[in-house]
Amino acid sequence: MKDYRLIIPNIILAALLLWSVPSWSMTFKDALGREVTLSDAPERIIPLAPSLTEILYYLGLGDNVAGVTEYSYYPPEAKEKPSVGSYIDPNIEEIITLSPDLVIGTKDGNLPNSVYLLEQAHIPVYVINPRNVRDSLSTIDEIGELCGVPEKAHQLVENLNKRLEAVQNAVASRERPLVFLQINKAPVMTVNKNTFLNDLIILAGGTNMTADEPITYPRISIEEVIRKKPDIIIISTMDMEELGEKARDEWMKWKSIPAVKNNRVYLIDSDIINRPSQRIIDGLEAMARLIHPEINWDKK
Amino acid sequence: MRLKNIGYRYEKRWVLKGIDLDLRAGEILGILGPNGSGKSTLLKIMDGVLKPQEGEVTVRNKPFHGYKRSAFAREVAMVSQENTFRFSFTSLEVVLMGRFPHLKRMQFEGSGDIDIAVNSLRATEALEFAGRSIHDLSEGEKQRVFIARALAQEPKVILLDEPTSFLDLKFKRDIFMLISSLCCEKGLSVALVSHDIDLVAQYCHRLIMLKHGNIYASGDPYKVITSTNIEDVYGCPVLVDSHPLSGRPRVNLV
Amino acid sequence: MIERYRAKIITPSKVITLSITMLAMLVLVIVTSLVLGTADVSFKDILDIILGNTPQDDPIRLIIFRIRLPRILLAGLVGFALSLGGVVFQAILRNPLADPFVLGVSSGSAFGAVLAMILGFGFGLGIPLMSFAGALFTIYLVMMIGARNIGVESSTILLTGVIINAFFTAIIMFFISVSADDRLHTMLFWLYGDLSQSRYTQLFIIAPIVLIASIVLYGFSKDLNIITTGEENAAQLGVEVEMIKKASLIIVSLIMGLVVAFSGLIGFVGLIVPHLARMAFHSDHRLLIPVASIGGAIFLIAADTLARTIVSPSELPVGVITAFLGAPFFIILLKKRGSQWTRS
Repeated sequence: MKDYRLIIPNIILAALLLWSVPSWSMTFKDALGREVTLSDAPERIIPLAPSLTEILYYLGLGDNVAGVTEYSYYPPEAKEKPSVGSYIDPNIEEIITLSPDLVIGTKDGNLPNSVYLLEQAHIPVYVINPRNVRDSLSTIDEIGELCGVPEKAHQLVENLNKRLEAVQNAVASRERPLVFLQINKAPVMTVNKNTFLNDLIILAGGTNMTADEPITYPRISIEEVIRKKPDIIIISTMDMEELGEKARDEWMKWKSIPAVKNNRVYLIDSDIINRPSQRIIDGLEAMARLIHPEINWDKK
Repeated sequence: MRLKNIGYRYEKRWVLKGIDLDLRAGEILGILGPNGSGKSTLLKIMDGVLKPQEGEVTVRNKPFHGYKRSAFAREVAMVSQENTFRFSFTSLEVVLMGRFPHLKRMQFEGSGDIDIAVNSLRATEALEFAGRSIHDLSEGEKQRVFIARALAQEPKVILLDEPTSFLDLKFKRDIFMLISSLCCEKGLSVALVSHDIDLVAQYCHRLIMLKHGNIYASGDPYKVITSTNIEDVYGCPVLVDSHPLSGRPRVNLV
Repeated sequence: MIERYRAKIITPSKVITLSITMLAMLVLVIVTSLVLGTADVSFKDILDIILGNTPQDDPIRLIIFRIRLPRILLAGLVGFALSLGGVVFQAILRNPLADPFVLGVSSGSAFGAVLAMILGFGFGLGIPLMSFAGALFTIYLVMMIGARNIGVESSTILLTGVIINAFFTAIIMFFISVSADDRLHTMLFWLYGDLSQSRYTQLFIIAPIVLIASIVLYGFSKDLNIITTGEENAAQLGVEVEMIKKASLIIVSLIMGLVVAFSGLIGFVGLIVPHLARMAFHSDHRLLIPVASIGGAIFLIAADTLARTIVSPSELPVGVITAFLGAPFFIILLKKRGSQWTRS
């Protein structure tokens, strides 16, 4: 004898239960194709790169950051967090001691050995691999989903995308000046087309002078720069006051270079162009202003 | 030991040619000759270190190549000029190295071996150095230890390459006397190369004189050491007379 | 009276006693190293783990078994092999300053390994095999160029080694800098060694090979003793000089190749430890081989532990520590032996 009167309440009860319990368990696939399963939104997260630290704070998850790598000093509060060693070879023991429920790493920076050891210690590791500016933005989305704040991430990323598109539209019809980007003072080093920074130059409306070099971060001679006659020289530096100025002074001697002749040797803060985080858009805007000063950027 | 028609060539040059010699038990054979005449080479061939391109070496009627290295080392021992000790060993340990051909691969030296080593050191009057590092000894003392090592091999034949070249007069005599007594007592065959013609004349039973890799003269000292021979081979005029006490030939430079 | 002399020589019981003592020291060093590190681990924790009182997922247990222990074991094996290689090289080349690193054999190995990676054999046994080939090739070069007419004892062979070292290191740096994979840490691995990538599977391969190699080489002890006094000397005492030389050099290449493939270039171990062992104990290889080998294990474990604790939470590459300790040592040795060089 079936009691139909009980079925409906049971179904409603079941639905209520399912809906109220925050069953959140999800499986994600990271940049290495690894499956990472989290049974709950992570509360203790360790980012293994300064850019990741920035993103977490940006998403409002600063309190969930359990430890950081060296050079994670943006935002300034991050300096107070416990250190887990260098970004390339983080100290696994320290990480284990901090009992994280999620570690986020990068394919390009961290050693594969670190991922292996963390797996051995049963700590979930999620690896990202942003290869260009757009990837950086989608990383913010990914991390937002991973850490249980997808809507906030989505909104922030939308705004960043708007800024990105604004720059693109502004430089779309313009000529592209030849840009030489210097990332190291001595020896003089630059970047080829297989880099993030190359992408940035292109998005900012320029052409990378050394795009076709065979080595990714090649050393380049001053003669080569003189020969190629870049319209703009941008020096990426962590120390704008001293080292950056010294580097600029070095170039000012060579008047035959168009960039020098037209006084277009600029300094830019490495931090905003090297980190695949939200600040990359700041970097993009800064670079675009240097490359295309003729545009009225402030009109909105 | 017998050498038949030995020829040895280094690159294109024949260092030794047509060497025939016999070494009998209980006799001391002296090998003379100026530098470059092939003396050391001859000794090395007798020791099995160098292989002659022509001719045959036999020990106790068995050809040399029929012997395994260690078996040969039980028959023939050599005291050579080359003795570089980069690392420190005591004299006793050096002499015990002479027991190597008698030991199996993983075998450690036993009390029998120690007895033999000690007796060898005693025979060469070097027992007092047993515990001292070989580096701490003088040339003469070292020489005695090396001879003891050769003795420890319990060989039938001992070869000596310039055993007295760095020694004081007293030691020169001592070594020759030692060799002589060992030879007689134990019935060893000894072949030695030396520049000390007088001592060689005194103590050797037979001599051979080499010139340009050939045997120029051989026989007893009286026959071989003559002023003509010496002048011819060494290119140096000498006067050969008789040692007042022993009657053996004595060489005087003019 | 003979008893007096019997006491002075090497006997099996002396060898065994000394070996056991060294092994005891090794265990002590291993346990101490397990306790040291960034995370706080005490002896009591280790005791609990051994007694099985700790749950499987306990973080301390994970740290010990997954991170520290494999690393310590690799350090021990590598140190053992490097020291053993040093002992054998010094014997055959009759040169107290010879060691596979100084003579460029390690860099030749590394070159083989890097070549394997570039040509695409970077999987399975490809790297260790090419590493072994690299070591063999380098030994051949060193013997050919350095030992030709001058004799292996002279300083020429050291010079040859220095040059070969420089040559291969330059090639390795070249490959790394032009390769698409611009990871700085790869360079550090090859040039200064890195024991943190230890895996138990690797250990299961390396350990038996190294142990068997050491047993075979131990069997050559008496021969090696005599070879140190001169090759002609040795030949006339009945030592099969050529056979022993070839076999020893091949075996050393094998273990060097293996060790470099899994841990990068770590230098000076084969120089310092055999020397200390000789000075403290004896030049007789029947004693020297076990003492120096186990001593090498102890030394490298200690050096690696230092490397991972001294600037915690960062780490220094272990080769930096050994170079720091080894270079001054080498210079002191050179000065001490200075007078002896003029004699040769």
